[in-house]
Amino acid sequence: MIVGGQSLVTSPPVFSHDGKKLLVCTGCTVSVFSTTTGMLITELEGHTERVTSIVVVPVAGTVGTKFSNYCWTASLDGMIFYWDFSTPDLLKKVNVQLPVHSFVIPNILSASLGRSDKASQNLYAFISVEDANKEVENGKHLHGSIQIYDLTNSTRAGGVLAETHKPETLAVSKSGEFVGIKKKQQLNIWRVPNKNLKSVNMKKLKLHHTRTLSCLAFHPTKCIVAAGDVSGRILIWRGFGKMRHSQDGGGKMKIDMGDRPGVRGEDDADSCSTWHWHSSEIKFLMFSSDEAYLFSGAKEGVIVVWQLDMGNKTYKPNIGSPLMYFTDSPDPSLSCVSCEDNQIHLLRMPSMDIIKSISGIKPPLILSELQGDRSRVTIGCDRSIGFVALPTKDYRIQFFSLLDGTDISHLQVIERNYDPVDETTVFISLVEVSDDGSMMSTVEEKLPEMGIGGLISLKFWIRGSHTGQYTLSTIIYEPHNNAGVSDMAFCPGRSMAVSTSYCGNFKVWVNNSSFIHSGDEIQEKGGWRCQSVSSYKEIPMTAAAFSGDGSVLAVAAETKITLWDPLNNVLVAIIGDSLGPIRRLAFVGSSEYIMSFSSGTKADLVVWNISNLSRHWSYKLLVEDICCTRSETRVAVLALLSSSDKSISAGKDGMVLVFDVENPIPVSTWFVKKAKGGRLSFINNKLGEATDGKLLLAYINGEHNYVLFDPSNVKEQEDLIPKSARRPQSYAHDENVSHGYASIYGELPSFDLTKARSSDSIPFVSSKRPWETIFSGSSHALPPLSKLCSPFLESLLEKAEKQTVLSQ
Amino acid sequence: MMADEATRRVFPTEPASHLRPRSRSVKSLVSTPESSFWRTFRSSTLHPSYLHLPITSLSFSPNSSLLAAASSTSVRVFSSLSLSEYDPDFDPTLFATLPLPDLAYSPSFRCDGALIAAGCENGAVRVFDLPNDKPPKTLRRLNAHSCASRVVGFPLLDHKLRLFSAGDDALFVQWDLPTETPLFSVPGAHRDYIRAGSPSPVSPDVFVTGSYDHTVKIWDARVDSGASSVLSINHGHPVESVLFLPSGGLVATAGGNTIKIWDVIAGGKPVYSVETHNKTVTALTLAKVRDDTRLLSVSIDGYLKSFDFSRFKITHSMRYPAPLLSVAFSPTGTIRVVGTNNGAMYMGIKKKKDEFEDQVGSDDFAWSVPLPEKPTSRKNIRYFKRGQSEKPSEGDFIIKRPEKVKLKEHDRLLRKFLHKDALVSVLKTQQTTSIMAVLEELVARRKLIKCISNLDNDELKLLLSFISKKATQPWCARFLMDLAKWVLEIRAEDIRSGGPEMAVHVRNLRSMVAHEIQVQRSLQEIQGMISPLLVIAGK
Repeated sequence: MIVGGQSLVTSPPVFSHDGKKLLVCTGCTVSVFSTTTGMLITELEGHTERVTSIVVVPVAGTVGTKFSNYCWTASLDGMIFYWDFSTPDLLKKVNVQLPVHSFVIPNILSASLGRSDKASQNLYAFISVEDANKEVENGKHLHGSIQIYDLTNSTRAGGVLAETHKPETLAVSKSGEFVGIKKKQQLNIWRVPNKNLKSVNMKKLKLHHTRTLSCLAFHPTKCIVAAGDVSGRILIWRGFGKMRHSQDGGGKMKIDMGDRPGVRGEDDADSCSTWHWHSSEIKFLMFSSDEAYLFSGAKEGVIVVWQLDMGNKTYKPNIGSPLMYFTDSPDPSLSCVSCEDNQIHLLRMPSMDIIKSISGIKPPLILSELQGDRSRVTIGCDRSIGFVALPTKDYRIQFFSLLDGTDISHLQVIERNYDPVDETTVFISLVEVSDDGSMMSTVEEKLPEMGIGGLISLKFWIRGSHTGQYTLSTIIYEPHNNAGVSDMAFCPGRSMAVSTSYCGNFKVWVNNSSFIHSGDEIQEKGGWRCQSVSSYKEIPMTAAAFSGDGSVLAVAAETKITLWDPLNNVLVAIIGDSLGPIRRLAFVGSSEYIMSFSSGTKADLVVWNISNLSRHWSYKLLVEDICCTRSETRVAVLALLSSSDKSISAGKDGMVLVFDVENPIPVSTWFVKKAKGGRLSFINNKLGEATDGKLLLAYINGEHNYVLFDPSNVKEQEDLIPKSARRPQSYAHDENVSHGYASIYGELPSFDLTKARSSDSIPFVSSKRPWETIFSGSSHALPPLSKLCSPFLESLLEKAEKQTVLSQ
Repeated sequence: MMADEATRRVFPTEPASHLRPRSRSVKSLVSTPESSFWRTFRSSTLHPSYLHLPITSLSFSPNSSLLAAASSTSVRVFSSLSLSEYDPDFDPTLFATLPLPDLAYSPSFRCDGALIAAGCENGAVRVFDLPNDKPPKTLRRLNAHSCASRVVGFPLLDHKLRLFSAGDDALFVQWDLPTETPLFSVPGAHRDYIRAGSPSPVSPDVFVTGSYDHTVKIWDARVDSGASSVLSINHGHPVESVLFLPSGGLVATAGGNTIKIWDVIAGGKPVYSVETHNKTVTALTLAKVRDDTRLLSVSIDGYLKSFDFSRFKITHSMRYPAPLLSVAFSPTGTIRVVGTNNGAMYMGIKKKKDEFEDQVGSDDFAWSVPLPEKPTSRKNIRYFKRGQSEKPSEGDFIIKRPEKVKLKEHDRLLRKFLHKDALVSVLKTQQTTSIMAVLEELVARRKLIKCISNLDNDELKLLLSFISKKATQPWCARFLMDLAKWVLEIRAEDIRSGGPEMAVHVRNLRSMVAHEIQVQRSLQEIQGMISPLLVIAGK
């Protein structure tokens, strides 16, 4: 089982003390990358929820060679772990019991120093935790709170420092003197005393602003704090906290109201200056290690370098994606910037050149203003070598190897400059890779502005010598006049493709390119040409599929499936009605079945028999994706569970079912999270020594996290182990799929199990009047009335799509 | 995991190619290495006789760079060394004039360049001596032909006592020079005039002849088989010129307006056929172009074409103002001569050093061991004082400055998000494709409508004049029609109050729309006529 696809940019990464390694929070694990090669070295596995912060133990001089590779990590599962990340070993566990969103250790430098001479000094951490169960006070939902935690003794040190609406990110100055958070329109700053750290003797300093603040940073040595707000302004307070923090000494100091430019009200600072360049919310601020510059970044994808004294600025453009975090390393010539497109760029410092990029799987394309099925952005999948082709925001396609979990290559599809600020008006709406990966087609759409200038074009690509290297073969502008392309399919074993459109026709494209000797080089002449155009009653064509041998082409005309001879363009047969417009079709191996599913209010999943043109079996399920093997009769279905279904626990909104096509009873079932927008695919297992030709099932969820597993293998285990133990097994697998469900909510409740179990047994299509069927059956097998009552009443109340279940 | 952002390209705004009109120009004038080679020849004109008689044949001596030209009753021999300093008034370049009793044909040098033979209209073949300081004298007279001996040739190989000739009497003879007797004689070798012949480059006893009876025949003097040839090939047109290609296995024949290449070893299999001349091809010769060999052909249509027979491709063609009858290319590869039917000879003498030859280097030096390079002395103070102006020496790895992206004005403005300025600046250029590209880019940025509403009156006039000119061009009509509608809708007030100039644009637009409607209507009529035909054809 292979799990991957985690986001690298959920939290800021941290450099190791020598700058040779980069620790990145990737889901429940911490991945350690080498900064010289950009490759993964090791992973720290232990947390059961998303890791939110990492603190690397600094090493001063020759003292701490022992601690050179030690770090603290905090996670949403309420644990703080202490690691040796070179081996990697888990050294210590501290249970905070509340989900930790951010944590800093201000006195880590002195504490780690002290550790060598006297082990007395305790290690205190500031933690930002979320307390969801907190009662409402004065009508405010204060979920987040800042607390101090004694890591040495594993106890809470004192009470709550501050309460916030949602958990905030803590910032600490390099010297460990100040700790601060942003709290709506103000900054809260605490000075950390050298000893006797108690929340009662912490003095809070507030600095006010008129807009909501988004981030803050402390100057390494001076009393300067910078904060960015949501409108893109940067505020620099100089000389803050002189009065308040010195009041501890006893003597009252007068606040000099005059001569404090920019400072609001009674805020305790000498001056406040505002810089404004960014047009959107500031994502990060960072003072350079030489204390002369301030780096800032926002959505534009431009790092702005401000000269601290003068406010002059220089830019580092062309990062090409909205920025998230900026981290500097102990090595002054190295730093890294995290981008929203799941990439971390390592920068060579004064020049800010990108040395290396650590890139994960690209996040899904979100098209805000587009609605419904039309803007379904699909991802292509190469079954033979197991990579996916993902359209990205910057008009490219990323080829990502699922087996290796690495980025293979990028392909510029649309030749246009990408600006992260622009709304998406040009995008790749469809990517289809042929089964053997030798051909690829992309559909790009340009949305019109007030009806002017929309354009849809279809591009055919041919694979080059390397994996993931494709060259453009043919561009077809407006393949179906103005109408969008709903689906593409490649004919196996032939240079033939079909594109279906919403305007009611489909076109068969053939590649009859001939190679001509024109001069020195051999030129490809011809390329992809339209061989035939067909339509069926002018009904919008919504899906297409070729049979395994390429002799039959199935095209869905909304609710009907039309079967064609692709070579002669002859309509062979029509298979009857599904409930809603069909979204996708798939031939089941070499068998006589074809599978289809439709979405919308009348969602269903149907297996049709081609030989007698009839419905074989069907479910009333809201299906997101189906996939079939080319040789076997197994099919995998990704179904979305309707929210009204009580058997579904929170977070799990889908399930993966594996059927044998002859039999409507699923062979195996797994519940998964974030199934909306997910994809399934069978890929050849080529990993390691297990090249037994077994197919792996790849499930990619809506956030592009994925898991690869062998469905038959899991089934064998099911047979071997007792049934009670079977479920946790599959759930354990499922945890790996997505985000540690059981870690928050504990073991799954038993009713869940039985319900899911029963749903495996006898599902059937509910008729329009379920009350007629629900009570049918022999009386001795009829379930108790109490069990029947609720489905019966539900069926009367709503006609939502869902699978009605008759328990045994 | 590569740093792909470092190589992130900047894409200029370009219209999708469906919007780009097909260019009408046949071929862009790209300079190929071949054309640059031919351009290094400095051309000059030479009139060997002032009688405007056709120059029927040209020949270079294999080693001493003498050029023989047959025209009227004499063969004139030029020293090609002095051809470059040719002075039309005084004629010092003339090395010798060979007297012949009648019209002279086909001068041919022996392989050592010491003897020259020529044919004659009355059938006699004469062999001359070419001493350096004395006038030439006739050494041998070979009389066998009863009609004009049009083809005379020494073998290419080192066989100094043989000569072959052929003529209009269809007789083919190989001569033994010292005794003036025919060694091998084929009367009636062809059924028509023999006008072309060539000795084989690999064997002294093999010849090829071409005749007006459309056939090309290969003869082997070692096989005494009477009148039958070793091989006979039908060219399909009266053959004007034949030539063995350097391998000896291929024969090029010219007749009519086609040049054909035949594989002799494979029994006369046609290999390739070129039909690039418009009129009869009159002569063929081989030329050395850098390291390759080309087949030069001249034709009555006045073109000289260079054919690369290894790639079967015409690599260069040159036009002359008169019909061309003969061509010769010096063995040194520096002089190209063509003879016309009006007595003029056009010469090209290679003057400039070919830039490619520097890289290739000549054959003479290829075997010599290159001298070891003198290592740079680090003691030299200049080595340490090298500055920015220091030229990279050979073998240095040059790190190039990243090339600066050249952007057009509108691209620069678009990069600064000055959308309206970009639109105005591109409208001023009046380049339709660029304007369309910018308009499309503005649509993609959702800024077009805003731009239109922000244009002031002068700029609006620009836009309107563009629309009224181009709105019905098929390749941008769909875009511009919609745009015109929007412009008229949004800026109705300004257009109404915009003065006479604006009114002219609107009037133009209206007449254009009216015209377009008419066109569409007539197109519909045509469609109505065609569609029943198509339906019938489909059945």
